[in-house]
Amino acid sequence: MTRVTFITPDGNQVQVEDAVGSLMNVATDNDITGIDADCGGVGSCGTCHVRVRPEWLEKVGKADALEKDLLDLEENATECSRLSCQIELTDEHDGLVVEVAGR
Amino acid sequence: MSQCPYHDPFKEARREKPVMATEFDGEPVAMLIGLKEVRKAARDHETFSSDAPFRVPIPREEDVRTVRQYPLEVDPPVHTEYRKIVEPFFRRATKPEYIEKMETLVDELVVDAVNRDSIEIVREFAIPLQSRALTFLLNMPESEADIWIQWGTHVFRDESGVSKGHEMEAYTNDLFDKAEANPGDDFFSALTQAEFQGRKLTRDEMQGYANIAFAGGRDTVINTISMVIAYLAEHPEALDALRDNPKLVTSATEELFRYASPVTHLGRMCPVDTDVHGVKVEAGKLISLNWAAANFDETVFDDPETVKLDRRPNPHIAFGNGAHNCLGAPHARLIVRTLLKKLSQHAASISITTAHRKVEKEADYERRNAFHTLDVTIEPRDA
Repeated sequence: MTRVTFITPDGNQVQVEDAVGSLMNVATDNDITGIDADCGGVGSCGTCHVRVRPEWLEKVGKADALEKDLLDLEENATECSRLSCQIELTDEHDGLVVEVAGR
Repeated sequence: MSQCPYHDPFKEARREKPVMATEFDGEPVAMLIGLKEVRKAARDHETFSSDAPFRVPIPREEDVRTVRQYPLEVDPPVHTEYRKIVEPFFRRATKPEYIEKMETLVDELVVDAVNRDSIEIVREFAIPLQSRALTFLLNMPESEADIWIQWGTHVFRDESGVSKGHEMEAYTNDLFDKAEANPGDDFFSALTQAEFQGRKLTRDEMQGYANIAFAGGRDTVINTISMVIAYLAEHPEALDALRDNPKLVTSATEELFRYASPVTHLGRMCPVDTDVHGVKVEAGKLISLNWAAANFDETVFDDPETVKLDRRPNPHIAFGNGAHNCLGAPHARLIVRTLLKKLSQHAASISITTAHRKVEKEADYERRNAFHTLDVTIEPRDA
C-alpha cells in the first residue's frame, strides 16, 4: 500500500491511503485543490503541476526534457517540479509528499 | 500510425528562424512560429500586450463588433480579476452532470447522423452540436440554440459574407435587459450581478464577455468537429483502435486538437519598439502567436505531420498558453472526447463523398483550415 500526502496551495495537508495509478489520477479522484488536470493526463496542459519534496526526488525521478519544457514557464516551478500525470506510483513511493503548485 | 493529410505551411520558415515577418490589414506583423518562442511570448504580457481592443484577433475586428472582448483584450493584473468572474461557469464542464448531458446530446446527434443516407457535417452536425452544447455552458434553455444555429460557422465572417455580429450584439443586449429585470442561473444573469473592483460591470463590459462567449467558441469548435470526422473517415483503423482501447480517447483528443489547431494565431501589441528574434517591431504594431505553426514544431514533436493518437506527452498549444489560455478548453475537450466515444460506439466506418476545404490565403502563406462543407455517409455498426 502506498500513502501519499498532498500539500495544497491553501496550506492544507491531504493524505491518501492506497494510492494507485498516476499521481494525477489519485489527486483528481480525491478532489485535491489546485490539480485541474484539464487534458486528462497526457502532458498537454501543465495543470497538474506538483513540487516533489527534495528527499523524494531521487525515487520519483526528475522531469525528462519535454516535461521540463512544459514546466519551465510555469510560475512557482523549481528543480523539484513534476507533472503529476507523468508519475506512476509504485510501492516504492509509500510516504511520498508533494506540494501542489496551483495557479 | 497513419499519415495525416496535413501540410504544415510554416515548416520551411520555422527551420530558418522562429519568427516570420509578414503583414495583415496592410500592417507589418512579426509572426512567431516556434513552439518555445510562442509559449514564452504568450506569458510575457509586458512586452506583448493584449491591451489592444479589436486587434487580438487577426485580421482586426472593428468592422464586426463595437465592444472590447473580456477577458481576452486586457492584461494582468486586471485580466485576472475579469477572468475570475467567469471562470466558475467555464469549469462546470468538468462536472459529472455536465458530462452526462453532453453524452446524451452527442449520442442523439450521432445516432441521427448514422441513420441518414448522407449528412453534411458542417451545417447538419457540427453547428447544431456546437450551439446546443453551448446552452450547457451558458446554462440557457436548449431551445435557445435554434437562434444561435442561424448565425453560421463564424458569427463575424461566415461564408455568406454577411456578418451576424451586430445582430448578435442586439440579441445579447436584450438578454442582459431581461436578466437585470428577472435574473436566473444563466451566464448573462451572473454577469449582471457580478462585482468588479467593488462595482457592477458596465453594459459594455457585459457585452464584451458575451461577445467572446459566442464568437470565440464557435468556428473553433465547428472546425475541430469537421476535422475530427474527416480524419476518422480517412483513417478507419482509428475507429477500431478507439473501440479496442477506450482509454485512447484522452490522448487522441489532445492529438486531434494539435492536428486541427483551429485557431491559427492571435495577436499581441508591442507597447514600445521591440526586437523580436531579429525582427524589429515598432511601438503600437503587432506580433502574432501562431499556435498552429508551433504545434508542428519538429524540435518538440516527433514526426509532427503524423497523427499519433497515443502521443504523450503532447505539449501542444492549440488552446493557447499562459494567463489567456482558452476558457472554453474543458468544454471543447469534452465535446471531442464524447464525439470520439460515440462515433466509435455507433459508426462502423465513415466515407467522404464531397469535401470543400477552407483555405486561409494570406500575404506569405496559405493554410488549409477545416472545411466549408463535408458530405459523408456513415455506416452503422449494427447494420
